Amino acid sequence: MTELGDRGVQILAISPDPNEKSQELAQKLRARYRFLADQDLAVTRRYGLLHAHGGHKGQDVARPTTVVLDRHGIVRWLQLADSIQIRPDPTDVARAVGQLPQ
Amino acid sequence: MIRYWPALLSVLLSLGAIAGYYAFLRVPAIRNHPGLYLVAFAIAAVIAGAATWHAARWPNFVTLGLSVVLLILGGYFNFVLARVPATPTVLRVGEPAPDFTLPDASGAPVSLASFRERTPVVLVFYRGYW
Repeated sequence: MTELGDRGVQILAISPDPNEKSQELAQKLRARYRFLADQDLAVTRRYGLLHAHGGHKGQDVARPTTVVLDRHGIVRWLQLADSIQIRPDPTDVARAVGQLPQ
Repeated sequence: MIRYWPALLSVLLSLGAIAGYYAFLRVPAIRNHPGLYLVAFAIAAVIAGAATWHAARWPNFVTLGLSVVLLILGGYFNFVLARVPATPTVLRVGEPAPDFTLPDASGAPVSLASFRERTPVVLVFYRGYW
């Protein structure tokens, strides 16, 4: 995924985690992510991606989802997980980004 | 002399599947096909079942029990616990993503619209609580 950052694509990672946690993760991954804190899950809910009581302590979390937007903000590729075991495959995301019209 | 190599093979297959799954969690092709560990448990159960059929001795019974328990627990995790229900997402390919503004890790507000006509964006929603 860091490779995408090098290509001038902006990666925005959205979770209910508070900022300090995300900062920690960003340093750990050394990734060019920008972590955005959706602490009350308002955006997640507006996007229709709320997994109510899906967290390991029964708290609300986001449904794992990866979305590729072209430079006009149009959705071009979408992956909605149906299992918490699934994570975005960087190869698929890179391919989707590569197919965006310039 | 009774040989227990099928039982040993069964146990190694089960444990190997667990170890392999964790060892290759960083490899998307393995991680995103979690059903593979169930296939390994099922093969282990078949081997142990055949071994028990041929020789009803306790090592074979224990091996059969282990692989069946792993198959049931693994299946429960994969098909029940790990499931994410379908959500009524508003995202449609070919349509614009709704705008939002959220604080980044330094607290600065970031709006999706600020990237418009500038750069493609990959949005990654994740469960959080690392």
